[in-house]
Amino acid sequence: MALRVHIRLLAVVACLAAAAAASGCGAADRAPASGSTLRSTLRDADGDGALEPGPAEPLVARTQLGAPGPAERTLATLAIVSDAHVRDEESPARVPFLDRFGAPVDSTFRPHEALSAQVLDASVRAIRAERPDAVLVAGDLVDNAQANELALALTVLRGGTARPDSGAAGYDGPQRAANPDPLFYRPDVDAPRHPGLLARAQRPFRAVGLGGARLLPLIGNHDLLVQGELPPDARTQAIATGDRRLTRLRERPQLPDGAPAALRIAAIRALLAGPALGPTRRVAADPGRRALRPAQVAARLRAAAGLPATASDALDYTADVGPSLRILALDAVDRTGGSEGRITPRQLTWLRRELARAGRRAVIVATHQPLRSSRGGAAVLRLLDSSPAVVAALSGHTHRHRIEPRRRRGGGGYWLIETASLADHPQQARMLRLVRTRSRPAGLALETWVVDHDGAGLAGTARELAYLDVQGGRPRNLQARRGDRNVRLGLRAPCCGPIS
Amino acid sequence: MRRALQRLLGRRRQVLVAATLIAAAGLAVGVAGSVGYSLATGYDRAAQRSDQPDILARFAPRRRSELRARLDRLPNVERISYRLEVNRIGLGAGGRFSRRGAVHVVHPGRRGYAIVAGRDVRGDGAEALVERGVAREWDLQPGDRISVRQLGELRVAGIALSVDNVAFPLASVPRIYVSEAMIQRRFGADPDPDVNIALVWLADPARLDVTLAAARPAAFGLRTEQLLTGRGVRQAIDQAAGIVIALLAILALVACVCAGAMLAAAASAEVRRRAPVLGVQRALGATRRRTVGEQVLDALLVAVPAAAAGVAIGALAAAAPTAALLGYLNELAPGAALLWPLVAAFAALMAVVAAGAAWPAWRLGRRPIAALLRGGDLTARSCVRRGRRRGAGRDARGGLLALGAHFALARRARWLSCVCVLAVAAAAVLLVLAVADLLVSLRDDPGTLGRRYALTVPGEAADAAAVQRIPGVAAAAQRSTVDAADSFSLTEPLRVIAYPGDHVPFEAPPLASGRRLRTEREVEVGAGLADALGLRPGGQLAIQAASGRELRFRVAGIVRALENDGRVVYARTAPLLRDGPSLGGPIAVRLEPGAARGAVVRRLARAGFASRATGGATARNQAFLAVLATVLRNVALAIGLVCLAAVVQTLTLTARDRRRSLAVLRATGATPRALAAVLAGAAAALVVPALAAGVALQRLVLAPVVAGLAADYATLPLGVSAGDALAVGGGLTLVGVIAVLVVTRSALGEPIAAGLEHED
Repeated sequence: MALRVHIRLLAVVACLAAAAAASGCGAADRAPASGSTLRSTLRDADGDGALEPGPAEPLVARTQLGAPGPAERTLATLAIVSDAHVRDEESPARVPFLDRFGAPVDSTFRPHEALSAQVLDASVRAIRAERPDAVLVAGDLVDNAQANELALALTVLRGGTARPDSGAAGYDGPQRAANPDPLFYRPDVDAPRHPGLLARAQRPFRAVGLGGARLLPLIGNHDLLVQGELPPDARTQAIATGDRRLTRLRERPQLPDGAPAALRIAAIRALLAGPALGPTRRVAADPGRRALRPAQVAARLRAAAGLPATASDALDYTADVGPSLRILALDAVDRTGGSEGRITPRQLTWLRRELARAGRRAVIVATHQPLRSSRGGAAVLRLLDSSPAVVAALSGHTHRHRIEPRRRRGGGGYWLIETASLADHPQQARMLRLVRTRSRPAGLALETWVVDHDGAGLAGTARELAYLDVQGGRPRNLQARRGDRNVRLGLRAPCCGPIS
Repeated sequence: MRRALQRLLGRRRQVLVAATLIAAAGLAVGVAGSVGYSLATGYDRAAQRSDQPDILARFAPRRRSELRARLDRLPNVERISYRLEVNRIGLGAGGRFSRRGAVHVVHPGRRGYAIVAGRDVRGDGAEALVERGVAREWDLQPGDRISVRQLGELRVAGIALSVDNVAFPLASVPRIYVSEAMIQRRFGADPDPDVNIALVWLADPARLDVTLAAARPAAFGLRTEQLLTGRGVRQAIDQAAGIVIALLAILALVACVCAGAMLAAAASAEVRRRAPVLGVQRALGATRRRTVGEQVLDALLVAVPAAAAGVAIGALAAAAPTAALLGYLNELAPGAALLWPLVAAFAALMAVVAAGAAWPAWRLGRRPIAALLRGGDLTARSCVRRGRRRGAGRDARGGLLALGAHFALARRARWLSCVCVLAVAAAAVLLVLAVADLLVSLRDDPGTLGRRYALTVPGEAADAAAVQRIPGVAAAAQRSTVDAADSFSLTEPLRVIAYPGDHVPFEAPPLASGRRLRTEREVEVGAGLADALGLRPGGQLAIQAASGRELRFRVAGIVRALENDGRVVYARTAPLLRDGPSLGGPIAVRLEPGAARGAVVRRLARAGFASRATGGATARNQAFLAVLATVLRNVALAIGLVCLAAVVQTLTLTARDRRRSLAVLRATGATPRALAAVLAGAAAALVVPALAAGVALQRLVLAPVVAGLAADYATLPLGVSAGDALAVGGGLTLVGVIAVLVVTRSALGEPIAAGLEHED
C-alpha cells in the first residue's frame, strides 16, 4: 500500500513538474528544442540567401572501413561543439578592420560577431535535447584569449546569467550605425536591417547550461593566443585593457601568407612595435579584457569540467564516457604562437601510455587542430594506427564538417572526424554515438549526425547573418557533403571494449 | 434587337452623329491607350525579353578568375556572366562610321540581351551582333558586313536588344557584341582572360539590397566604375526621355478620361433628347426598366461598331510612332499584348455609354408621363420658357447671333454637357501644348532645370580662374558629377553634383524645405531622392562612393530638382576629392547679365577654351523629338476630332429643336448666311464658355495633377500660356465654323414646309 502511495505521489510531482515546464517558468526550465538534422534541416533551396526548413537527412552508411551492421545497443553518446569563438566584440584587442584584406588576415570580423554567446546558448539548448552523456567542447571556445570571454562562455555552458557586455554599458564596436565604414555590417542601417540588434545583444540573458551532461573541454589556439595567432605580451595586454581602439590601418599590412608561424608572428610584433598604425577611438577600459595565461585557461577549463587540478599549463587528460568509451584529450596549441597544431614528444609518450591503459574500451582521441595538419600529428596518427582500440580521432579548428577513413595496414582502421564551428555557417554541433552492432560476432559502429541550434531569439539572426557572410561557411562550403554529416561509420572488426 | 435596329434606322442622321462622336472618342482612347500602355510597359517587356541582369557592374579590367573568386561569394546569386568592354573602337558599315564604338566580348553563360533578328554569335565565325539602335540607324540586317577596327570585316549574325541604356544614337556609343571564342582564336588562347563587366542575376531580386550589402566587403579593393541595378538602368533611360514618357503616359490617361466624360455627356444628351419618345412608351404601358433597357440597347448598338472602329484606328495610327519612340529607348512594343488593354478600354467605353444612357433614362422614368411627352426635363422646360421670354426682347436687339445663342442656351442640360465636353477637350489640348512647350524648354533652356550657367568649358578645375577673367563671364567653377548610391539603401541610385564653392550662382533649383548648404559637411537633396529615402532637413545622407568608402553629410535642404528624376545631391567638391583624386567635370560658366553668349564663346575660343552651350534634360536627337511630336500630334488630333463631333452633334440637335424657328426665318426671306449666323451664335455660346472653362480646368486641375504624377519631385511649368490659349481658341473656333457649315447645309436641305409642321 505504501509503495502505491509513493508511486502516486511521484506521479503527481512528475505531472506538476511537466505542467511547470509546459507553462514556461523561465529559460532554464524550458523544454529543449531539437535541432537534429535527422528530423529536419535548414536549406536555401531557392538560393535566395535565406534559410528555410528542409527535409530530414537520415544516416547513410559509409563502408570504407567495413559495413556497419544494424545497431543493437548504444554504448555512449557524445556531443561535439567546436569553435564557438565567444567574443568580446567591443575589445580594443580585436582587429576587425583586417578582415577586408583577405588571407591571411581574414575572418577577423563577422557580421554576427556580437551574438556569439547567444549562439552558444542556443546550441547548448539543442544539444540538451539530444541527451548526450558528455559534451566535448573541441577548442576555440573563445575568440581572443580574454578573461571576460572565457567567463562568459563558461557561464553559458554551466548555466546562469550571462552578461555579454563589456566596457561601458551598451554596444561600442565597429558595427555602430555611426561608424561610416561600410565594410562593417551595421545592423541598424545596412541590409538586412535589424534595428536595435546590438543593444539587445549586450543585454544579460539566462543560459540553460549543459545540465547533467559531462563537459570535456579542449584548448584551441584562440583560447590562448590573441586572435588565435599571437601569444599575449605586455603590449597586447595594454591594448586589451586600454582605452584606445584602433579603427583602421593606414596601410595594408604586409603579412606573409603561408609563411611559417614564427615569421608571421614576428611580422605582427614588428607592426605593433612600429609607429601609430592608424586612427584610434576612445573606449571605456575594462580590466576584464586581459588575456589569460595558458595555465589560467587550463585551470579554469579543468575546474569547469571537474577534472583534477594539475600544475601543468597543458590540458591533456583522459575521460571515460560510460564503461565502453575512453576519450584521450590532447592539447595541440603551440604556445609560441600560430594557429597550426603541434604535438610534442612528451605528449606522444603520454598518449602511448594512455592507449595502453585503455584496456578493452574503445578510444577516441580528441584535439582542437586536426592531427593530419599538426606538427607531430603524423607520429600520433602512426601510433593510433597501431592501436586497434582507437575508433576515431576528433577535431575542430577547420570550421568544416569532414569525415575521412584512416586505414590500418593490416585492415580496418578508424575515422578522422572534424566538426564545423558555431562561429560560421552552418553553426552546427555534432552528435556521435558508439553502438554495438547485431553482427556476429558483435561489432562496433559509430553513428554521427549534426545538430542545428534552436535559432531562438538573437541566435536566429546570427544564423541568418552567418549564412550571408561573404567570408563565412556558405561560400567556403563548410557544411560540406552529406557524407561528412549524418553517417553510420563501419568499423571492420570488434576491436575492443566491454561491448556486451 | 430587330425593333431596336428599326428604331435606329428610323433616325439615321442622329445615329450617324452619335456614331461619329463615339468613334472619335474611341479614336482618342485607341491612341491614348496604345501610347500609354506601350510606354508604361515597354521597359519591363524589354527587360524580361532580354533577360536583363539584376546587377551590372563595371570594373577596371581584371582576370576573370579573380572577379569570379570574389563575386561567387555573394549570397542570393543565381548566375554571373562576364564580358570585356573595349571602348573607342572604330566601327563602320554602309558608309556610316563612328570612332566611339564599343565592342563587348561576350563570355559563355547568360547573355543579358535579346536577339530580335538573326541569331546569336557563335565561336566558329568572324561575326558580330549589332545593337538594335545601330542596326536601325545604319540600316543593317543579319548577313550584312560591319567593319571593326582590329577585328576587320565581321558578318552581322543578328540584331541584339539590351536595356542597360537607351539606343544609339540617343546613346552616343554604337555597340556590337562578339564572342570570346572568336577573340581567343584571333589573338591567342588565354585560359584566364581579362573582363571588366559582370552581369549578375539574383535568385530573389527582392533581396537585391542584401546582395549589394554583401558585395561591399567582397569587392574591397576593386574599383567599381559603375554599378547599375534595374532601377539605375531605368533611371539612365529616363535621363533621355523619362519626363517625356511620364507626361505622355499621364496625358494618355487624361485623354481616356476626357473621352469617357464626353461619351457619358453625349449619351445623356441623346436620352434627354428622346424624352418624348420615352413618354410615349411609358404611356403605352412600357415599364421603367424596359424603357431603360431599350435606351441602353439603342446606345450600345450604335456604340459597339463605332467605338470598335475608333479604337482600332486609333491604335493603328499610334502604332508606328510609338514603336519608333520605344525603339529609341531600347524598349519593346507590346505587339499582340496590346489587344487586352484595348479590349479593356473598349469595354470601359461601352460601360460609359451604357451608364450614360441608363442613368438619365432611369431618372426621366420617374417623371410624370405628361411631363415626358412635353420634353422630359421640367426644369429645362421652365428654363426654356424663361429663355423665350427674355430672348423675345433680345431677338430684336441682339440680332441673329444672339438668337442662335438663345437657341443653344434654351436647352440648359444639353448646353452644359456640350460645354463640359468642349472644356475638357480644350483643357486636354492645352495640356498637350504645355507638354510640347515644356519639351522644347527642357531641350533648349537650362533654366528649366534650375541651371544658371549658360556655357560649359572642358578643362581642369584650375582653368576656372582663367575662364572667369574673360569679359562677359560672371562666374566659372568646375561642375563635377558622380553617380553613386545611398549607402544605407544600396538599391537607391543618386547623382552628386559638386562645386568647389557655392553652387547657387550656377544652379539653384528651388528650395522645397530647409536652407541652402553652407559647409562641406552639408548637402541639398533633390525631392525625388528625399522621398525615396525619407530624408528631411537635419537628417543624414550616407553616400556609397565608387571607392567603397562611405561619405556622410547633413541634409541642409530639400530642392525641387528635375534632373535625374530628382535623385540628385548638391554638395561641395572637397569631401568627394578626399574619396578619390580623379574627380572631373566641365567648367560651368555663368554669363553676366546682358552679355551675349556668342561673344563670350568667341572670347573663350580666342583664349583657347572650347565651349558648349548648356542644354536641358531631354535628348537633342532630332529624329527622337520628331517622333515625340508625332505622338503628341496624334493625341491632339484625336481630341480635336472629339471636339468637332461634339459641336456638330449639339448644333444638329439645336437645329432640329428649332426647325420651326429656322423654317420661319427662311420663310421670311432669311438667306443661308443669316441661317449660318444663327447657328454661329449657337456655336459661340458653346465655344466661348468652353474655352474659359478649359483654361481654368487645365490651369487649376490638369496641370498640377499631371505635373505631380509625372514628376512630383520637381515643379514642372505646365501652365497655360497666352499663345496656347489663343491657339486652342482658334482651334475651337475652327471646329465651330466647320460645325456651322455642316449643320447649315443640313438645315437648308430640309423643306421649309416640313419645318413649319414642327413645334419648337
